[in-house]
Amino acid sequence: MWYHQPAINEELLQSLPNLKIVVSSGVGIDHLDLKLLFSYGVKVSNTPFIVSTDTADMGMALLLASSRRIVEGHQMAVSPDTEYFPADWLGVEVSGATLGIVGMGAIGYKVAARAKAFEMKILYHNRNQRKKEEESAVGAVYCKKIDDLLQQSDFVLLAVNLTPQTHRLIGKRELELMKPTATLINISRGLVVDQDALVEALQNKVINAAALDVTYPEPLPRDHPLLKLKNVIITPHIGSATKKTRRIMMEEMAESIEACLAGLPVPREVL
Amino acid sequence: VGKKVQAIYLWWHKPVIDKELLQSLPNLKVIANSGVGMDHLDLKLVASFGVKMANAPHAVSSSTADTGMALLLASARRLVEAHNISISPSMEYCEADILGVKVAGATLGIIGMGSIGYKIALRAKAFEMNILYHNRTRRKVQEEQAVGATYCKKIDSLLQQADFVMLVVSLTPQTHKLIGKRELELMKPTATLINISRGAVVDQEALVAALQTGVIQAAALDVTSPEPLPRDHPLLKLKNVILTPHLGIKTDKATYMITEEAVENILAALSGLPLPSEVLPS
Repeated sequence: MWYHQPAINEELLQSLPNLKIVVSSGVGIDHLDLKLLFSYGVKVSNTPFIVSTDTADMGMALLLASSRRIVEGHQMAVSPDTEYFPADWLGVEVSGATLGIVGMGAIGYKVAARAKAFEMKILYHNRNQRKKEEESAVGAVYCKKIDDLLQQSDFVLLAVNLTPQTHRLIGKRELELMKPTATLINISRGLVVDQDALVEALQNKVINAAALDVTYPEPLPRDHPLLKLKNVIITPHIGSATKKTRRIMMEEMAESIEACLAGLPVPREVL
Repeated sequence: VGKKVQAIYLWWHKPVIDKELLQSLPNLKVIANSGVGMDHLDLKLVASFGVKMANAPHAVSSSTADTGMALLLASARRLVEAHNISISPSMEYCEADILGVKVAGATLGIIGMGSIGYKIALRAKAFEMNILYHNRTRRKVQEEQAVGATYCKKIDSLLQQADFVMLVVSLTPQTHKLIGKRELELMKPTATLINISRGAVVDQEALVAALQTGVIQAAALDVTSPEPLPRDHPLLKLKNVILTPHLGIKTDKATYMITEEAVENILAALSGLPLPSEVLPS
């Protein structure tokens, strides 16, 4: 299964009586109806850990690109109309700013490790608090209430997986709690954000900017307002898209298939 | 009016400091520069008029290091290309096509390990990169160990091994065209050149040729010669080039800190006190 294709439904499962396993690329499994698959005796596996580093890197890439206006800057630098570079054209400082990480799993933690090197203050919100040593290693402070994180952060980065609990986790209320100078970065799933509320918040300057590797749907319709906002960077879900990682993902998927067909324990099985 | 001017705060290299201007300002005591680079000033000329000069070295290092990392990541993950595809009116794109380069485990070669270069090393270490550096002088062992950086006495050694080459030197007669045809050919064909120093540190024509013929893979340039480039310049058209308009220190916070540093220097000069960051002609 690659980029959520083919769609797994009852019809497909009935037509494949000898199907033993569905291997899904990447870590997210929100697109799979696990109950349905298990009811047909089909196993499921993913590629969870290999994607963490590149996805964390993508989060930082988006944070830096947004704050320093790299995309806008490039457009200015290459535009046929540019005669000079304006002296009052400024971005937002990353070093020393506050980063709020929502979802401190493997990916969120790697983002924290990177952000620490930029002397950022790190807050995080998670279902469970991490161990003290883990927190100290990256200098992260736990916010039991997401509101506390939202109110203090200059950058809010979403690194949760999509579940019924995280669906529309960031809506109108959460966006209004954020600073008007803050940036929202999403490397999780489009549905974690109430997208219409986000558009409104950006248009009305309730928040300053957004950088999204994920949207709902992907891709967005070509007339969607997010495509036109100057303060929005959108990338086409490339969090794990490096040659090395994709190769390893393929190898891991093949390995899981081979193990299953040989009747052996399946590596990276999702239970 | 000319007689009243005692200090100049240079913002974005303006005004141009030439003999004519200096002669028209007989009571000028100090020129404070916004930023650290002083290559746009004729230091000897200014000194000959008895005018002191100061730069703002402390405020710039973090912002410039951040710019360097922003360009490294944007280039490695093809961020600008990807954004353009995401917002393009045509629906013809396939996510699977936009593959970038994995930064973790890759080798970063830093040319110029001053305060900015060192801050880049600190950041790159957190991205699990291998770090090589080339500098006029070797850093202390503890400093090297803190960032896991290996010294390359010969620049060639760095160029041959690096996946990303980052230029962080100041512009001097020695660093002028430091990276030319020879150096580009020493680099890996899969390597990326990132320049956050000065356009003149690179032989720009050689760079264009190298990018066009695949001698190196990509470039990300915050600085060029001149700025901006002429609108018909080949660098504007290459798909594997990210250009930014000298963003180096252009943040709200850095601007504030630079101005504070400049004001400190100006006040010191006008009070006859030692300047915190005086720059002398070498």
